Amino acid sequence: MTTPIVQKKTAILKKFNKPLASLKLAVFIILSLAVITAAGTFVEAKYDSFAARKMVYDTWMMYSIMGLLIANLVAVMVDRWPWKKRHASFVMAHVGIIVLLFGAFLTMKFGLDATMRVPIGESSAYVQSSEIDLVVYSSFDGDRYTKIFEKEVDFFSHPPSAAKTFDVPAAGEPIKVVDYKKYVLPSRRVIQDEAGKGGAGLRFQIQNRRVNVIEWLVQTKAQTLATHDFGPAQIHLGPLPEKGKLKNEIYLSPEKEGLKYIVFYKESEAPGKKGFLKEGEVFDPGFKMPMEFRVLRFLKSAVEDWDLQDMDHPTPLTTSAVKIVFEGKDHWVLLNDMVKLFSNNAAYLLTYGNRRIDIGFPVKLKSFQIDRYQGTMRAMAYKSVIEVPGVGEQLISMNEPLKFKGLTVYQASFQEENGQPVASIFSVNADPGRFFKYLGSLIVCCGIVLLMWFKQLDFKIAKKMAPKAMDNDGAKK
Amino acid sequence: MKALSRQTQRPPLFKKQPSGLSLAWQVSRKFILMSLMTVSFLTSLSAFSKSGEALKSLPVQDGGRIKPYDSFSKEMLEVIYGKQKYESRDASEIVLTWMLSPQSWVDKKIFEVRNHQILTALNLPQEQRYFSGGELFNTDGFRLLREELDARRQTKEKLNPYFQAIQRLENQFFMFQEIASGKMLKVLPPKDGNAWVSIAEMPTEYQAKFRDIAKAFIVYIGEVAKVGDGSSLESAGQALDTAVLGFEDAARAINPEAYSHDTKIGMEVHYNYFHPFRWAYMFYFLAATMILLVWILSKEILMKPAWIFLALGFALHTYGFVLRMFIMGRAPVTNMYETVIWVSWGVILFSTVLEMIYKLRIFLFSGTLVSLFALVIADFAPAILDPTLQPLEPVLRSNYWLTIHVMTITISYAAFFLAFGLADLGLFYYFRGEAKNHEKIRTIVMGIYRAMQIGVAFLAPGIILGGIWADYSWGRFWGWDPKETWALIALLGYLAVLHARFAGMIKSFGMVATGIISFSLVIMAWYGVNFVLGAGLHSYGFGAGGVEYVGAFILIHFLMLLYVTILRRGQQKNLKT
Repeated sequence: MTTPIVQKKTAILKKFNKPLASLKLAVFIILSLAVITAAGTFVEAKYDSFAARKMVYDTWMMYSIMGLLIANLVAVMVDRWPWKKRHASFVMAHVGIIVLLFGAFLTMKFGLDATMRVPIGESSAYVQSSEIDLVVYSSFDGDRYTKIFEKEVDFFSHPPSAAKTFDVPAAGEPIKVVDYKKYVLPSRRVIQDEAGKGGAGLRFQIQNRRVNVIEWLVQTKAQTLATHDFGPAQIHLGPLPEKGKLKNEIYLSPEKEGLKYIVFYKESEAPGKKGFLKEGEVFDPGFKMPMEFRVLRFLKSAVEDWDLQDMDHPTPLTTSAVKIVFEGKDHWVLLNDMVKLFSNNAAYLLTYGNRRIDIGFPVKLKSFQIDRYQGTMRAMAYKSVIEVPGVGEQLISMNEPLKFKGLTVYQASFQEENGQPVASIFSVNADPGRFFKYLGSLIVCCGIVLLMWFKQLDFKIAKKMAPKAMDNDGAKK
Repeated sequence: MKALSRQTQRPPLFKKQPSGLSLAWQVSRKFILMSLMTVSFLTSLSAFSKSGEALKSLPVQDGGRIKPYDSFSKEMLEVIYGKQKYESRDASEIVLTWMLSPQSWVDKKIFEVRNHQILTALNLPQEQRYFSGGELFNTDGFRLLREELDARRQTKEKLNPYFQAIQRLENQFFMFQEIASGKMLKVLPPKDGNAWVSIAEMPTEYQAKFRDIAKAFIVYIGEVAKVGDGSSLESAGQALDTAVLGFEDAARAINPEAYSHDTKIGMEVHYNYFHPFRWAYMFYFLAATMILLVWILSKEILMKPAWIFLALGFALHTYGFVLRMFIMGRAPVTNMYETVIWVSWGVILFSTVLEMIYKLRIFLFSGTLVSLFALVIADFAPAILDPTLQPLEPVLRSNYWLTIHVMTITISYAAFFLAFGLADLGLFYYFRGEAKNHEKIRTIVMGIYRAMQIGVAFLAPGIILGGIWADYSWGRFWGWDPKETWALIALLGYLAVLHARFAGMIKSFGMVATGIISFSLVIMAWYGVNFVLGAGLHSYGFGAGGVEYVGAFILIHFLMLLYVTILRRGQQKNLKT
């Protein structure tokens, strides 16, 4: 039995609680949620889901409405206290929503939603999450790098500008991020390196009756090997080996005298044709299939750069990019790419991209298979056979994931090159809120079923509570 | 054009409005109609046994499944000509002649082009809709259009209606060529593997067998064209059937397992000619008419035939649904057309349930009208609502959660559609005068409230089931995908209405108004996301077209609502003064 004081206390509480528990507020909240999420779908249609998330769904406006919703749900339940039997469906539906939202909060706060790309036959223990980090490594000898800076950045919502730069402290002047572009269409470009620190760059053409390709080969630094694999033949730019690997290969090396080449053949380890080439010169490597190899451009010291074309909306080929200024020089860095920066006494490596997370166990992709509908190229199902230490071999397909160490690995899609799948893309998730989401769902559904059960009763209550509402308004006039 | 050609196939009685007739005439007419329909039923059921029809059931591999040649030819003609018949000749005849004598089709205007931009690019007259292959494809304009399309594909951006139209033109070009060369029609199962062999690539012995079909076919269509006594047509038909069966036997001998689709193929041909949904909406129309007569003539006895018509319509509706399910081996709720069928089925179901509880007739009346409306649209807009039977995208396969969540969500749309129909009726009564229709309005508002409750009771669990499915297939419960978000918005809309009603914020007229307004959210979730927004993971259901009609539909309702609101304001002012 409650004492009068307690009753008085609850009365005061209820009085203050009243405005928060009002149905009008509930209607307002429901409608604003509807309007905001609707706006989000239009943003997604115009741009993409990432933009919709950043501009609508993951914003303070959305969180505030959600907070208000929960406050309203709690308040209205307090208001109806003490609950009677007929309140069961009402309480369950509302408690269910709160539990559901709590689960969603847990997922947002502590969950993992990442992707993993594993090439066929290889293995990986890293996943990529949607958070974007800016990381800077520094080195004094150019070989060993140590991490000096790591920070999550959200340039989409808070873009840096020349006036409001994002600074990374370095030994001398800071590295400045001065611009951000949401959607750019990149095309690779190789330019002469003024500083002369980069490796060599070669633009060549291979031509015969059936083939005509033009490619760039750029060494990351001098004395490293850059390779272009055409399948039946490989072109390398870098140090010349003594012996061949029993493959059709052309080695090109920037020497003091000029660009030297050696050709190796499938049939023998011994070097074949050799000589020097100048820009514009052609030679036939002497493979079984006759072809012409032409040097279009040769740079002793070259760097790769990007030509960026601004787009007003994203396409599957666009990406985002940031502009870095260091020591008076501009560099554009694409998402998930890096740039090397040099000062007089130090070298820096700056990476800008999705966070890579070690999941603690390697996933090896043994094989990947696409089932197609009979007689067509239309995909029917994707399947990956993976191997995980402690689990062994396991088949993952659409709707049949692997659950291991709190993570769930789903078959998401695959990567294709020249019509052949080359890698499988998995979605790797951890969802600590799952239990609450399911529990909340169950409670909501039970509440709704009860509501249907008690609907007659409910109707009577409504009539009693708001006789004007249920009465026909036409009748009053 | 489509509407006209379909109209002629209907029983002529359908066109007249049977109102204001005497009861006796009405009843006798009902029997005439019934017997007429029974006859047509039987004739369409016996479509198998008619001679010359075996060709239609010839198994063909196309679009990732084995289908009867009849479906194949209908789909091909639909792509090229935009209809399932050409000059009232069946697609199965037309498409085979493309292959047997392509040269006779060179000058025929069989390629449908609707896009005006394309016609401009090809220097063709805007008012014309059909063109010959020469006019379209032997031009520089066509080459340029294809280059433009290729360039667009390179960017990997979404194709807008203009590029989709070029894509269709390209398809028309390739399909006609492939059919003419015999490479499209894959009729021979392989010894092993699953890619069937086309007519052009068949071994000579089977080519010879097929030539028998071709010869018999030519004789047969010659006889069809003639106005003879029928006996020679009969024998020509039998000869064709024998040739087809001879080929089928030879094909079956190669790989009996791959050639074992007889029942399904028979069913599909039956489905193609039976048109269960067309029959269903005709019966719904009759049922609605009967209920209307109950009111106009105050003859309670007419409720009985109304129920009978409704039951017949519903049985046929269900039958069609089950047929599709049997043919495809899955619940048919994976594209717009199929959900329209399913929703209209749900409308009848809910209105019947409500009718049985409340016995107010108004539920049944609006239910039949709404379902009739939906089915007629599904029947008359095949270019937008694709009625063909298509295999599923990988993510949709082998998962019962998919079927359950889609069915639950769309069935809630049925309840909201019913509420919308009732609201329309309510609006009509408000228009006619609030005071004298007070009782009717009261009933209708109660019905709207009930229907909305039913809708919410299905939509909320449906969205949750969708979350469970997403969690199960993609590992995330909720991802703000436009399709799921719009289902949520619709739910929020109706929840707002129910709460506002509970709080006394909206009254009877408010319920009628919100019944109409909130349904536009359902239209957005159901149609708009796929056809207007065109984004997101649910992209397998995407289509194009019809936006202007759907937009006009919503706009007209809003205008009607506005008009009645203003009218009502005026009346209320008059009452006060």
